[in-house]
Amino acid sequence: MNKSNARLGWLFASPYLIYSLIFFLFPLLWATYLAFTNWNLIAPDYEFVGIQNFIQAFFTDTVRAAFFVTYKFLAMFVPIVVAGALFLAVLIHSLPKFKGLFSVAFFLPYLASGVASAIVVNGILSYNSPFNIWLRGTFGLDINWLGSSLLAPLIIALMMAWKFAGYYALLFVAGLESIPKEIYEASAIDGAVGWKRFWHITLPMLYPSFYTVTILAVGLMFGIFTEPYVLTGGGPDLATHTWQLEIYSQAFERLNAGFGTAIAVINSVVTFGSILVFRKILEKWGAKHGWE
Amino acid sequence: MKKFSMRLIMLMVIVSIVASGCQSSSSGGGSGSEDGIVTINFWAAPNPSQQAFWTDMADKYMKENDKVKIEVSPMPESPSSEAGIQSAIAAGNAPTISENISRGFAAQLAASSAIVPLNEIDGYDELIKSREMKETISTWKFSDDNQYVLPIYSNAMLFGWRIDILNELGFDAPPKTYSEVLEVGKKLKEQDSEKFLWARGDLVKPTWWARWFDFFMVYNAASEGNKFVEGSEFTADDKAGIETLEFFKNLRENDLLLTREATDPFETGQAIMSDIGPWTFPYWADKFPEMKMGENFELSMPPVPDGVDPANAKTFADTKGLSIYASASKEQQQAAFDFVKWVYSNAENDMKWFEETNLPPARDDLSTNDTFKAYFDKNPQLVIYAENIPNAVPPIDNEKTVEVQELIGKEALIPVLNGEKEPKAAWSDMKEAINGELK
Repeated sequence: MNKSNARLGWLFASPYLIYSLIFFLFPLLWATYLAFTNWNLIAPDYEFVGIQNFIQAFFTDTVRAAFFVTYKFLAMFVPIVVAGALFLAVLIHSLPKFKGLFSVAFFLPYLASGVASAIVVNGILSYNSPFNIWLRGTFGLDINWLGSSLLAPLIIALMMAWKFAGYYALLFVAGLESIPKEIYEASAIDGAVGWKRFWHITLPMLYPSFYTVTILAVGLMFGIFTEPYVLTGGGPDLATHTWQLEIYSQAFERLNAGFGTAIAVINSVVTFGSILVFRKILEKWGAKHGWE
Repeated sequence: MKKFSMRLIMLMVIVSIVASGCQSSSSGGGSGSEDGIVTINFWAAPNPSQQAFWTDMADKYMKENDKVKIEVSPMPESPSSEAGIQSAIAAGNAPTISENISRGFAAQLAASSAIVPLNEIDGYDELIKSREMKETISTWKFSDDNQYVLPIYSNAMLFGWRIDILNELGFDAPPKTYSEVLEVGKKLKEQDSEKFLWARGDLVKPTWWARWFDFFMVYNAASEGNKFVEGSEFTADDKAGIETLEFFKNLRENDLLLTREATDPFETGQAIMSDIGPWTFPYWADKFPEMKMGENFELSMPPVPDGVDPANAKTFADTKGLSIYASASKEQQQAAFDFVKWVYSNAENDMKWFEETNLPPARDDLSTNDTFKAYFDKNPQLVIYAENIPNAVPPIDNEKTVEVQELIGKEALIPVLNGEKEPKAAWSDMKEAINGELK
């Protein structure tokens, strides 16, 4: 690369770099600094409290709940959304016509407002909804969907999966489109057809898409806010209390901005660590199938 | 090449520092005065009707006072108006004055010296007198004897009762005491076991503000308005508190509560009692025009324990008001206060507010002043709200309001409703937890 090309590259990249500096790097540094103070964002004075906020976070039951609840969401959401997105992608890919139209149709839930879809789900699951009246009348089943510690997170995970499956399916469709036909032809000669072909050829060949989708899905679970905020408020018994709900409550309801940012910093470290672990697992799986 | 890259990076850092430092120069801070004209920023609640009201008032005031410039804008909601205000103060962009301030949030702001005591501003007594709000504002006094918020409206929260169903059950008026409520409930269950007395999903949610519309409505009635927290002291009435929890326990044991989300349970007759504020009526006019006071619903103050006179019942006041920010200059603070004083010196302006927002102005004379008579004649359901403004207790004025109200739910109300604790033990646990929090 010659000098003028490099200069041009820097020049073209500079708007995004400036944007990142203003909206990501400075706030990150500022938040890290705040995490070591007891500032509430409105008082004229505040003190440096060292690592006190971080120690307090480890002894706060709501922070501990947020930690475990996120992994519970992960365990529910990631398999559902990956399987759902893959199913949609295969469905779209196998269509003889109108692939684009169906791709867009399945992508639409991604554009829906979280608040609006939470309100719709709330209506569907309400005690006197036609669905629940039918369940009670036909099977005698009276299910407290959002009042159960097991069902409430599952419903939120399903809702999120509905929203993101279409988006992630696009990534899988791109992956499916990029598998060379020759590989299928060669495998057919070796007797790999139908389910065998899907399991031994298609899935391993989709590794790059799996990698992207899984990492995106894992990262997403550390940032859930709207759905539990609207549907459950973090209950019942903190069963849907996420990191973002805790950060919001501490920083903006209790006005403990210093403590809230300390939790946000812990959240970023946990997110980073978790993504790293998932990356390693995925890379091992990839390496097993020839992806280095 | 390296030199160029380094220069470019340095340039980007400088540009971004300058850009991030660029803030609106029209903040409440600074002198706000130029060429003898005082500029004040007024943040209105983020809804069109309140914004329209304040914009109209500001325009009229500026016509009469050419030395004041009032810039009315909606307060940011990111994600709540409180968070928006907090961020603005942190960024040095606080307005001069804003509405939509609850008493609990004002306590948090006052504890950090972010708002000023209104009673120390010239003209305060005159305003209270001219707006006829001496009695209403007396319950708003903060523990340091100052007034940080001027209440604009006050919704005395009431219970709505399906009078048509009560009549079918053989009652001709809403019940006033706990035993009367339970009697109604038992008759209701005998008639239709699928129906409930009160359907409220928020009852078992940990959301702190939900306690205003369940626990505090019933507690304020039972305690005749006793203060729950005074300064940093837990001062709640133990007897009334335990009776309140006993009431909830009895409702649960008799299967009279639906603690799940339900769509319009009161309107559809699934439940016959509901906590109702004046904001419900425009919704009904739109979606349930058949809901008519006297025909299928009545309004009443919350029930009281047996042995307590229902005439002394108090309730929760859903109320918000105006605060002036400490970051504004003295000149701006006075100008903002003078504007408010001008608005409230004329009852017609309160009438205009009432018409546009349906929120009852926080005045002692609302139900007796002739200015409002025609409006009440057209909207008889609002009369009882107006009459009970002096009987409505505003929220706790403690900077730990959120923590206190979360503990009410976590330690007392929710465990009692789930059958996990007895009322006495629940009250004692809650008291201990709140005392620990307030220390």
